[in-house]
Amino acid sequence: MHDAWGGGRSGGAGRPGVLLDERLRRSFIRVGAMAGKETLHVLRDPRTLYLALVMPVLMLFLFGYGVSFDLDHVPVAVADLDRSDASRALVRTVIGSRELVSAGEADPQDAERLFRRGRAAAVLVIPRDYAEKVARRERVTLQLLVDGSDVTVANQVLQKADALVRAETQRLAGAELARAAPPLQVKLWTRYNPAGRSALFMVPGLAAYILAITAVLLTALTVAGEWERGSMEQLFASPVGRLEIILGKLAPYLVLGMLELLLVVAFGAAVFDVPVRGSLTLFLVIGFFFLVGMLGQGLLVSVLTRNQLVATQAGTLSSLLPSLLLSGMVFPVENMPLPLRLLSSVIPARYLVHALRGILLKGNGLAVLWPDLVAVAAFAVVIVAVSTARFQRRLA
Amino acid sequence: MTAPARPSARVQLAAVIHKEVRQTVRDRRMMFMLIAAPLLQTIIFGFAVDFTVDRVPTVVADRDRTDLSRLHVRRLLADGTLLEARVAHAPGETEADLDEGRAAAAVILPPRFAADLVAGRSPEVQVVLDGSDPNRSVVAGGAASRYFGEVGEQLARAQLAAAGRPAPAQLVLVPRIAYNPTVKSPPYMIPGIAAILLLVVTTIVTAMGLAREREMGTLEQVMVTPIRPTLLLLGKIAPYVVFGFVDVMLLVAAGTWVFGVPIRGPIPVLVVGTLLYLLTTLGVGLLISTISTTQQQSFLAGFLFMLPAVLLSGVVSPIRAMPAWLGAVTWVNPVRHYAEVMRSCLLRGAGFADLAVPLFALAATGGAVFLAAVLRFRTRLG
Repeated sequence: MHDAWGGGRSGGAGRPGVLLDERLRRSFIRVGAMAGKETLHVLRDPRTLYLALVMPVLMLFLFGYGVSFDLDHVPVAVADLDRSDASRALVRTVIGSRELVSAGEADPQDAERLFRRGRAAAVLVIPRDYAEKVARRERVTLQLLVDGSDVTVANQVLQKADALVRAETQRLAGAELARAAPPLQVKLWTRYNPAGRSALFMVPGLAAYILAITAVLLTALTVAGEWERGSMEQLFASPVGRLEIILGKLAPYLVLGMLELLLVVAFGAAVFDVPVRGSLTLFLVIGFFFLVGMLGQGLLVSVLTRNQLVATQAGTLSSLLPSLLLSGMVFPVENMPLPLRLLSSVIPARYLVHALRGILLKGNGLAVLWPDLVAVAAFAVVIVAVSTARFQRRLA
Repeated sequence: MTAPARPSARVQLAAVIHKEVRQTVRDRRMMFMLIAAPLLQTIIFGFAVDFTVDRVPTVVADRDRTDLSRLHVRRLLADGTLLEARVAHAPGETEADLDEGRAAAAVILPPRFAADLVAGRSPEVQVVLDGSDPNRSVVAGGAASRYFGEVGEQLARAQLAAAGRPAPAQLVLVPRIAYNPTVKSPPYMIPGIAAILLLVVTTIVTAMGLAREREMGTLEQVMVTPIRPTLLLLGKIAPYVVFGFVDVMLLVAAGTWVFGVPIRGPIPVLVVGTLLYLLTTLGVGLLISTISTTQQQSFLAGFLFMLPAVLLSGVVSPIRAMPAWLGAVTWVNPVRHYAEVMRSCLLRGAGFADLAVPLFALAATGGAVFLAAVLRFRTRLG
């Protein structure tokens, strides 16, 4: 009888109580032994452990400091064809801001050369009759040549230049418009992240990303390694059941993953002031189910590939890039085309990212986040069931 | 008895290349990972990665419910940045919608909005934003304040005209966008994605491939043959240079056909840039394989290199948005320079003269890394 789990259940049906307890106890011992062996593997290889624990901290710093979409000091060149006091005043308003800085004077014909060498992101062209038209209170058209090849920069330059030119219009209107009461007021009020800091946005997403990497890839590597070295057959020859092997092998990585999750939140709170407004218990519960799902996915990859090199590439393809790009961590899901939105709905990281943002930033509870919990748990159950089934069939 | 002569360098090299190519090509899954996977990912992520913020789900609370208030709501939503997801009827509903993620922005028009506007009592429109995604909230807030700002300005001008006073000058900014007039994301992202995928494929495969031979003990077997370490090294990486080039060609072709990415610059710039970049990525892979003993270690080490290289490359977020010290660090990042070369050449039509700086930087990092890898490899084998 190889399947200790199944044996336990049938024995329990016949003589309840003692025998079931005894079988369960033995099963726990075997799982514990597997987990102990796996823990020894991890601990004996301090480089792996070190990398698995240093990586989250490094990523947190990189994301926190490095990934920001808020641009300052974007270089803009000026082609002032008017060269009057009025045009220089305009240049002072537009270029004198912290957001746009001068990249020097330029000829409009030079714009492309400046773009090709990355010297300027835009060229502001002030027409020859600027001062004249302003004095005559006419409508003046200013041209902004923008390098559209860098999308983020182009969009922000457009937005900022527009606001700055609007400010200059108001400055020119000066006393006249100020005397009249503003006919309409707009009050903007930003909740959850009033300062608009990217780190608050990134840290919850990062937790999902780190868990996906650690869980899927480390599991895939360690299990595929046993196939490669042939030690998996030795394990099968031992009295340890299949589910016990799986549980035992995954347990240490489950602990490691939970540790990383806590590490990310603790560092996020300490270094980037990421708040924890909701329940930490809910956070851990959702994180736990997500982690089980990722470990199951890693297991499935390793069972299917049985080769570490292929397993890493398959793991990267199936977990790491989707959880970076399709989870809503950086790019909003609602902007994707329909097929990708459908694809993203089967990626558990999407639910984790949503849930973690809700818990950390908004203080959401189970009443709001239960669909995320259900989705993550369902993925975990399905993937563990599928990989266990594959694991058994391969063995027979 | 004389020892048999060592085969010529060419024969040694050809033998290693032959073995490496056969080993790789024989494994269908490996070929899939090397060739098909990058192509598939480029296409998927080309569609997924979109910096354009539009269709922001918005809850509208029109407490006035007059023709004028409805008109302004309709015009505000007309440009597509904000998308009406819900209509709030009771007070407090907007907060709940934001809290529970049904909307990311709320526009609240006060009671008596139309009456106040007509009577000149300056009503206040409230816009509440979900700031958890700063990029989105800035764009959504910008769209709302731009619309109502324009309405206010027009009203002010009308008031001045009614009072018989001349309106002040008005400045209008007309943008002309070069290279990518509709500011679409794929033309920007595809060159960057190519740089990232090339890194993933070549660095990890080299790093793990050698660690695997060491694990299985086949590296020792090769070492007892008369082959020279340097030739062994060159023979092992030569096939991957070819795979790398095939990948680049496929990715650029996919970019052109699927996403309409132009090829405006000279092809030789792409070839030279790719070659210098592969020198770095393969060199890093080799270097990692000399410092790690297992595949698991070399994968993690490769990952530890790739992660900062990708994040600090300017592909995901602009380098100018980084703090100055971090921006300075990116100068030694090959991904940054390669993405710059690819993007500039494809989109802006830049040639060798324009790209002298990034190409030189690529050559410098590539040369240094490769030399270090060769030296370490020789001492390890020697």
